[in-house]
Amino acid sequence: MIKKSRQVRDYKALDKTLPTLRYVNPDEVFIHLQNNRCKTYDVYVKEGDHVLLGEVIGMRHGGFFEQPVHATISGTVGKISKKFHRTGRKVDAIQITNDFLDTFHESVVDRTDEEIKKLNQDEMVEIVKDKGLVGLGGSGFPTYIKLGTKEKIDTVVINAVECEPYLSSDYRMILEHPGEILEGLRYIMQALNAKKGLIAIKSKKTPLYEVLTQLLKTRYKDLNVEVAKLGNHYPQGWEIEVFKWALGIEIPHGELPMKYGVIGFNVTTTYGIYQAVKHNLPVYERHFTVNGDAIKFPQNIRVRVGTSVKKLIELSDGYDETQKEVIVVMGGPMMGTSVVSDDVVVSKTTTSVLIFKNVTYKEEPCVRCGSCVYSCPAHLEPVQIMNAVKRNDKEVMKGLEAFKCIECGLCAYVCTSKIHVTDYVRKAKRLVG
Amino acid sequence: MEKTLPKIVRKTSPYLRRPKASVTRMMRDVTIALLPVTFFAIYKFGMAAIMIIVLSIGAMALTEYVYYQIVDKLDGEKFKLKNKSFSLYNFSVVTSGLIYALTLPDSTPWFVVVLGAFFGVFFGKLIFGGLGQNVFNPAALGRVFIFVSFGTMMSYNVDSVAGATALGMLNNNHFDISVLNNFTLINLFTGIGIPGSIGEMSAVLIILGGVYLALRTSFEVRIPLTYIGTVILLASAVAIYKGLGIWYPVFHVLSGGLLFGAVYMATDPITSPITKGGRIYFGFALGVLTFFIRIFGAYPEGVMFSILIMNMFVTSFDYYKWTNQQITKKQKIIFGIVVLVTVVITIVGVSYVG
Repeated sequence: MIKKSRQVRDYKALDKTLPTLRYVNPDEVFIHLQNNRCKTYDVYVKEGDHVLLGEVIGMRHGGFFEQPVHATISGTVGKISKKFHRTGRKVDAIQITNDFLDTFHESVVDRTDEEIKKLNQDEMVEIVKDKGLVGLGGSGFPTYIKLGTKEKIDTVVINAVECEPYLSSDYRMILEHPGEILEGLRYIMQALNAKKGLIAIKSKKTPLYEVLTQLLKTRYKDLNVEVAKLGNHYPQGWEIEVFKWALGIEIPHGELPMKYGVIGFNVTTTYGIYQAVKHNLPVYERHFTVNGDAIKFPQNIRVRVGTSVKKLIELSDGYDETQKEVIVVMGGPMMGTSVVSDDVVVSKTTTSVLIFKNVTYKEEPCVRCGSCVYSCPAHLEPVQIMNAVKRNDKEVMKGLEAFKCIECGLCAYVCTSKIHVTDYVRKAKRLVG
Repeated sequence: MEKTLPKIVRKTSPYLRRPKASVTRMMRDVTIALLPVTFFAIYKFGMAAIMIIVLSIGAMALTEYVYYQIVDKLDGEKFKLKNKSFSLYNFSVVTSGLIYALTLPDSTPWFVVVLGAFFGVFFGKLIFGGLGQNVFNPAALGRVFIFVSFGTMMSYNVDSVAGATALGMLNNNHFDISVLNNFTLINLFTGIGIPGSIGEMSAVLIILGGVYLALRTSFEVRIPLTYIGTVILLASAVAIYKGLGIWYPVFHVLSGGLLFGAVYMATDPITSPITKGGRIYFGFALGVLTFFIRIFGAYPEGVMFSILIMNMFVTSFDYYKWTNQQITKKQKIIFGIVVLVTVVITIVGVSYVG
């Protein structure tokens, strides 16, 4: 098939309609002390200490920022052990055994609306920083740095596109907490002094559109927020694609959107900002999708950060036993990371776990059909980059701008010959970075 | 009861593939699109057409099979009846063979058919490393090889009054309207009652195949459109300059192998550029070359030659500094100027020739 094809089958039918299961009382949680951005850490508690929900138990140190670590349940601190992070690395995690009381720490106090109205940008940034909020769509970029931008922002865009197939946690999130999200958007707009807000959704997600417009018509009449229906293709959720479709602003590679007066936040991050500002809570729960074609019962679960993924798979009736081999993917099927064990814990930025049958695709010779070239959202020529990698021709890789690749995986998805083009481009990106 | 859990294996993203896409589907579609033309050829020429088609496909498949068996033997692999590289399984060799067969005249001797098929697949495809690596379209290479080497052995068996093909007659006198007395447009369009190669005659069936391929997105529709469009443009320019009327461009499109070549041979993805822009320029260059060979060259037909010539330039179309996934404004302007210059050159050339 030679064509521009950004339509990716989305496989969301089943788990989208089911209500989110609450699984908020795990026996124990493991909180990551390191992640992909932070390598070193301090721990403020020792084994046997009793901690409360929302208490700061440590500090992660990143390259240019620090992130407090919060307890997500109340209970007793256990040992530090190695657990898998969603990026596939083994990192240190601290164990907390649940006392099933969920006693909140004394720092967790609600702010009144009057108090919130008085907050300026710096105070808001301070709150978000204290609560360790990061981009919850998966980027893990500290939100306070984004929120503290000094550029003049016209439009705040909430990215609720969720273009990856199989994932529906953001979908359930909006359906179940639309008010909180709009409130969070109000706080962001207040902090950045932005005139306009925009919530970007896929045009086929009509229920979301109805829920949000209904609320905007009634309770949030004063908010200047628009719900934008964008295309249904992949990768519509890529921030640059969102800006392009919703606002018509094209942001060149390597430039920050803030320069163009727009800023994007993930919808779960917005919810997190609401929790932080209103209730002074860190991110201690999140929506989590368990899906895939080798899991018995796909569903969305609301979980505590730190819950073991193994437990969640058990809650979904476990693996399909007819399969000899399965692939466990943290994140979406197009960009997620495959892990070698299901001994992973849910971190703040983990959106989902997908279990797939291990299908081996038969690769055929490239017939130069050009589907990858037509489809690439970053306007690259993946097949040419692949050939350059095969010849190890770094000059050509650079000339073809392989570093612009966003690793969305579309080139391998559309490939007529089922070649893993993305792997080659990724390699080129590493070589010429 | 202890359950055996599935083993967790590691892969890299993405974990999904487009369900329907495959090389087999693409190549099979081309074969299916060729079926109406093939049946028409058999209806018209009977046993002669069947012989040519069977010999072509058979010779190509056999050459490839023997070649791969020898290569595997040299690599020290064990002999297996079913060879892994053999492209009969994904229809690629069938497609090449069928296209090659349909470009031949019905009176071609059998050994010429076999020789051309062998040459085409061996020097056009296998020598470069097989499917996906070839520079030249195997069918076009084989066809041109026998056209140049055994041209006198292949005369067109003619069942109408005229003694030569329409283009052959036109080659003697480029702007003679009386040619059309022997070939009405209906004849050219349906392929009934005109001489020519066994598969090239019926314009309507070729277009039918093209529409099927376009609907199945199994070929790049930009190439035939720009190719034919360019020929129409240049022929119209000449027609206006010479005052020849509407029949002239229509005649150029419908006669000879233009439609067949544009739909089935120029669109071979392996021997065409990979970017959108590159494909449009490729089609344009093909159209210009075809028209120039027809008007200014010694041969009446230029489709095969222009396809082979442009195949050589595909790498330049794909040169990394010149390609662009999107068509930029600058490219549009330059392309517009090139088109204008080509039209001017054609008219100047015609004023010397005619």
